[in-house]
Amino acid sequence: MMKTNETQTFLKFVQAIVGEENATNDRAICASYSRDQHWHFVPAKNPAYVVRPANKEEVRKVLMLANKEKIPVIPYSTGINVRGLTIPVHKGSILLDLSRMNRIMEINPEMKTATVEPGVTFGMLLEKTMKYKLRPAFPDAPLTVSVLANYYLRGIYQTSAVDGHDHTLSYEMVLPNGEIIKTGSRSLSEMPYFRYGVGPDFTGLFCAHPGTCGVVTELTAKLYRLYDNRKVYFVGFDDVNTPTKFIYNLMNDELAASIRLVDNQSWLKGICGTFDYAYEKLPKFVLCMLVEGVDGIFEAKDKLVRSYIKESGGKVLEFPEEFKRTFEEESLGGAEKSSMVFGLRGNYHCIGLYGPLTLAAKYYDLHEKTALEVGIPKDHVHFYLNPIYNFHGQLCYFELDIFYDGSDLGFGEKLRNYNQKQFQRLLDLGIYGWFRPYAGIIEPTVDRIGYLGEVWKNFLKVLDPNKIMNRGKLF
Amino acid sequence: MEREEILSAIYHCAKCKLCSIASFHPSEEWLPLCPSGEFYGYQAFYAPGKLEIFREILEGELSEPSEGLLKAVYSCTLCGACYEKCKQITSVEIRLPELFEELREEMVKKGWALNVHKDIAKKIKETRNAYGEKYKYEAESTDRNADVLYYIGCTARYRVPEIADAMLQIFDKFGIKYQVMDDEWCCGSVLLRTGQVEEAKELMEHNVEEIKRSGAKTVVFTCPGCLMTFEKNYPDMGVELVHSTQFLTRLKGMKVKKLDMEVAYHDPCHLGRDLGIYEEPRAVLKEVANVKEMKREREQAWCCGSGGGVKSAFDEFALWSAVERIKEAKEAGAEALVSACPFCKRNLREAAEKEGKGMKVYDVVELVNRSLEE
Repeated sequence: MMKTNETQTFLKFVQAIVGEENATNDRAICASYSRDQHWHFVPAKNPAYVVRPANKEEVRKVLMLANKEKIPVIPYSTGINVRGLTIPVHKGSILLDLSRMNRIMEINPEMKTATVEPGVTFGMLLEKTMKYKLRPAFPDAPLTVSVLANYYLRGIYQTSAVDGHDHTLSYEMVLPNGEIIKTGSRSLSEMPYFRYGVGPDFTGLFCAHPGTCGVVTELTAKLYRLYDNRKVYFVGFDDVNTPTKFIYNLMNDELAASIRLVDNQSWLKGICGTFDYAYEKLPKFVLCMLVEGVDGIFEAKDKLVRSYIKESGGKVLEFPEEFKRTFEEESLGGAEKSSMVFGLRGNYHCIGLYGPLTLAAKYYDLHEKTALEVGIPKDHVHFYLNPIYNFHGQLCYFELDIFYDGSDLGFGEKLRNYNQKQFQRLLDLGIYGWFRPYAGIIEPTVDRIGYLGEVWKNFLKVLDPNKIMNRGKLF
Repeated sequence: MEREEILSAIYHCAKCKLCSIASFHPSEEWLPLCPSGEFYGYQAFYAPGKLEIFREILEGELSEPSEGLLKAVYSCTLCGACYEKCKQITSVEIRLPELFEELREEMVKKGWALNVHKDIAKKIKETRNAYGEKYKYEAESTDRNADVLYYIGCTARYRVPEIADAMLQIFDKFGIKYQVMDDEWCCGSVLLRTGQVEEAKELMEHNVEEIKRSGAKTVVFTCPGCLMTFEKNYPDMGVELVHSTQFLTRLKGMKVKKLDMEVAYHDPCHLGRDLGIYEEPRAVLKEVANVKEMKREREQAWCCGSGGGVKSAFDEFALWSAVERIKEAKEAGAEALVSACPFCKRNLREAAEKEGKGMKVYDVVELVNRSLEE
């Protein structure tokens, strides 16, 4: 623990790197970074310093200084964080606010790629890519979130199933010792467009840790085409199980760009863009689909989709045109209205996970069962699934949601009980993996991964021997 | 507001930060909404960050008025764009401008006010106007029993008198009898917005007394800040309170000669977001000039940067915010930027002069007065 005069000296050193106005230990400025939406699980904690570098070189110098002094560093991109991932664990941490680094370095329409800094949001990027009739793959998160941070965290998204996973091609990462690692083809040339460069797939190796291994300062990701031909369908079902065959057919024949099975009381409202509709009169689950493509192929896909709808056992819902437009925007243009879910009761809790379509109904049943056991009312329990192309292993993203009043402190206790039971139960039932490193999720998971855990631990030791990076609660 | 109510509101912010940008769809443009966040950059200058600061103050974690605390809290213009955007998306009523005023009140109670704001309070106490001016703006009532009373306000009296002049001339051109207060005191807006609530009480009592004594039935304001303060903070005086643009829309047979001028209309925050008056200024302006739409309008208008005590405390930031608006007006193809607020006009004009690219700045009543046929 540093003494007051030492912290002031350290701050002076950092200010010499990034400029006086871009580094502070002001108590109030630090307090503004102390908490996120996940505060029922990750309690508020202030960083000791907030530092806002402008470029890679400044990041490098700050990291080297922190490494020398063994001061923990928490990278933070655009400030929308919902899982406690940028809340300090240790006293005396530096919060590295990267929002000033918001340059779109390149949009390459021929390669269909974009290279961005951490402060670039999905909204900023889409504004530029649209000129080329291209778009990024979107997370189901507000378009104020960072492209780089989201891809680095996991890189699998699902609002458009057709995008598949692995959107990240390569990146550049500064390690605590100041060395810079370039992954994929970026390591060999000025062409950052290919994921598999020299040796193992380091791009993947650094992604999806519960925390961070270094600071990613630049990332190249895939872009996807925007088509003029589009058609939207909404089909209602009374349970989760009935539409699974239909979803399978759509995915097997690669027909729909976006497929989302949602319950009628939560995300559907964001998909339609209004609270003001008699959603309760709809079937309990609604499958929202978007078909797109070039002339000829689009019509053929649409014809097949309509034939599958007929045999699906569902009811075609006639929604206003405006709802269809909103669904298109939310799926292929970045989520904005989806944040309406915060308005259901004021806050939300979810466990996002990957698993096969075949387990859809079981995940849903388990969600409801555990919620009821811990005293969460049935009408707070919500669910959605999005399948992901290509459909190997019938990969789907599932979200087990609970919408609740954030100011109800007692409800926080219920949620913690829910998590404790549910993590184990889901692991027992079988999942491919977690979407995010939720608080409390790593411990029961690491127990099950055998020697991989040891390898992982040693890997982090090599990268970050002084343990200054925000590595979550893994080791 | 009670402590529990404040904390409940703070706990309802999910930190999605959509409050910091204008609606993305369907225009697909990234348009910031929060001036202080954009200018200063740290999370503390955006609404979600300020809520955390408020929480720490209420929970006793923040016990010193650091430089960052004062800057983060008092550089907010209280424009309310964050509130409108959040409400539009989530329908959750986190009344952010009110919360931030509460935060300032809490800080003033602890003695954490800015010196520059304390100086304003002192000037008001001495001179009864926010600028400490000792001279009197010359205006005479045409009829001391008139139904209409024009409450001029400090800024139109002492910094942009052309607005008050224009309003008075409009009354004359229409042959409307009016009163002005012989002893008009500051409405107290600047004190209330900067957390100095106690200091505003005497002013309010005086103005209420004077207005009651006048016997006026309608009080007309060219300053939305004054109007909002009378609407929100004053007791019901049994009189009608209207903005100049509302008053003008009621005038029958307004013979105006349309000016050959391309203008953009800037929504003043107090008039638009606080009072919901969006249509009347546009309706009036359309009669006298060719109106161009800017990208950020109505509930999602970009603030001029001067409100909430910011102009006096952080002038560089206030002018930056105004320059951003001027650029937007220029981009819309306007040769003049027109507002309906003396405080906006003053800041925008200063920014336009600084920018030096020839953007003219007016109040709606100035253009109406100019276009009224004699």
